[in-house]
Amino acid sequence: MVAVAATAPQKRVPEPARLGAGARSSVIGFCSVAAFLILWQVAPEMGWVNGRFTSQPSEVARAAVEVFRTDNFLHHARISLTEFFLGFALALVVSVPLGVLLGNSRLARDIINPPLMALYIAPTLILLPIMTIWLGIGMASKVAVVFLGAIFPIIVNTMAGMREADAKLVRAAQSFGATRMDIFRHILLPGSLPSLLAGIRLAVGRAVLGVVVGELYVSQAGIGHQLVVYGSSMRVDRLLVYALVVSVFGYAMTTLVRVLEGRVRNWRPET
Amino acid sequence: MAQIEVRNLSIEYRLPKGEGTFTAVDSVSLDIEAGEFVTIVGSSGCGKSTLLLAIAGLVPIADGTLTIDGDAVEGPGPNRSVVFQEASLLPWKTVLGNVRFGLEMRRWRQGDLSKRAMQYINLVGLGSFADYHPHQLSGGMRQRVNIARALAVDPAVLLMDEPFGALDAQTREVMGDELLRIWERDRKTALFVTHDIDEAIFLADKVVVMGRNPGHIKDVIKVDLPRPRRGEMLDSDAFAEYRRRLRAHLAADMATMHLVREAV
Repeated sequence: MVAVAATAPQKRVPEPARLGAGARSSVIGFCSVAAFLILWQVAPEMGWVNGRFTSQPSEVARAAVEVFRTDNFLHHARISLTEFFLGFALALVVSVPLGVLLGNSRLARDIINPPLMALYIAPTLILLPIMTIWLGIGMASKVAVVFLGAIFPIIVNTMAGMREADAKLVRAAQSFGATRMDIFRHILLPGSLPSLLAGIRLAVGRAVLGVVVGELYVSQAGIGHQLVVYGSSMRVDRLLVYALVVSVFGYAMTTLVRVLEGRVRNWRPET
Repeated sequence: MAQIEVRNLSIEYRLPKGEGTFTAVDSVSLDIEAGEFVTIVGSSGCGKSTLLLAIAGLVPIADGTLTIDGDAVEGPGPNRSVVFQEASLLPWKTVLGNVRFGLEMRRWRQGDLSKRAMQYINLVGLGSFADYHPHQLSGGMRQRVNIARALAVDPAVLLMDEPFGALDAQTREVMGDELLRIWERDRKTALFVTHDIDEAIFLADKVVVMGRNPGHIKDVIKVDLPRPRRGEMLDSDAFAEYRRRLRAHLAADMATMHLVREAV
């Protein structure tokens, strides 16, 4: 097997120089955050800015402790999380099969595509007042907004993934006697998974936005509701705590999907 | 009776936007005996791949008959397997997974699939790469996997559509040697499409020369070189004579193509 030895596999080896560069940029990143926090802390005390509007890292930290201890935080978080996960789960249940159908049926595409694209492009938050009229000011209207926000990116990306199926792979499978079901299971489904996950990642951002804006618009509880409460009483420190909570949640969810995407893509040449 | 019998076979493609049909293969007849290694050579557009895909059952025939062991070809069947030009491997499966995939699609029931797949992966010399994904392999290695996948399902006829077309000249020669080494083990009927004249002669018992406008068979040349074939034979006088005949055919085809262009 001389030929095999000659054609070594193209394994990726991380370059040592790049590791150094990575360490350096994380040091710089850390320093810039630290410098910002110090400036933020010092500025109101020096009278450069009005602390009533900017608050301070130390105040925000104190507010965080208060919020987590006494502000019924878990109650509000549970409400917002329920809205998020309920809406998102419903969106997944509806959008994945619909995306698969649209990717495989020309007739279905012709029927559904125009309104689908219109809804995909328009921000679904414009439907928020209607949802509130239909479903009331409780959780149901927020679940609906999350559902509507999440569903379209997933449908569109699943559909695209299905349609991008490699015709050469389909033909090869057919040459081995694959049935339509085999082709769906072994080629279309795994082939469209990266695209589906990209759709889910986009949907996460829209869903978080749906929860918060839905609650900001009108609500009785939830993270967005607390933002309204502390906004009207000018508690910048507590507003920042809630802002941080939302952004950490969004970041965590997106990272989770990215990890899944990384796993799915590990068979792919880097793009 | 020949194992593969092609009689007055025509294949047409429908042109886009209802502009009628294009005749890719026009009334072709050909016999391939069991255990014969046949190559089809011709310039691009002569319908050689189309003819092979029709025998694979992947392209519908417009007219004529096509039988294998006396049965009309109506689609892909367990007596044939195909090695395609681009290594059409599933990128999310490993080498082992890809070779198993062929067996799974064939609903192979005899014994352990992985064991059988490994046996053929070893045969093509990739035993230590079974857990690699296709993108980690070179073009030549990917085609070895393709060959292993096609052989593992134990076809009566092995169909190869320019399998080494995308490889560099050196790898191509090595792969040709390897293919013959594997083929010599059980001498299954093999049909191999190429546009490389030397490759066509080196591999074949019989070279089918095709021409275009529309695709037809110009000549069938028996190659009387002893087996096993060796690289030195490429320099022999006999080989040079086959090469000269094939070149003349293909040059004539190019010339008519030129005339057609000018007439238009």
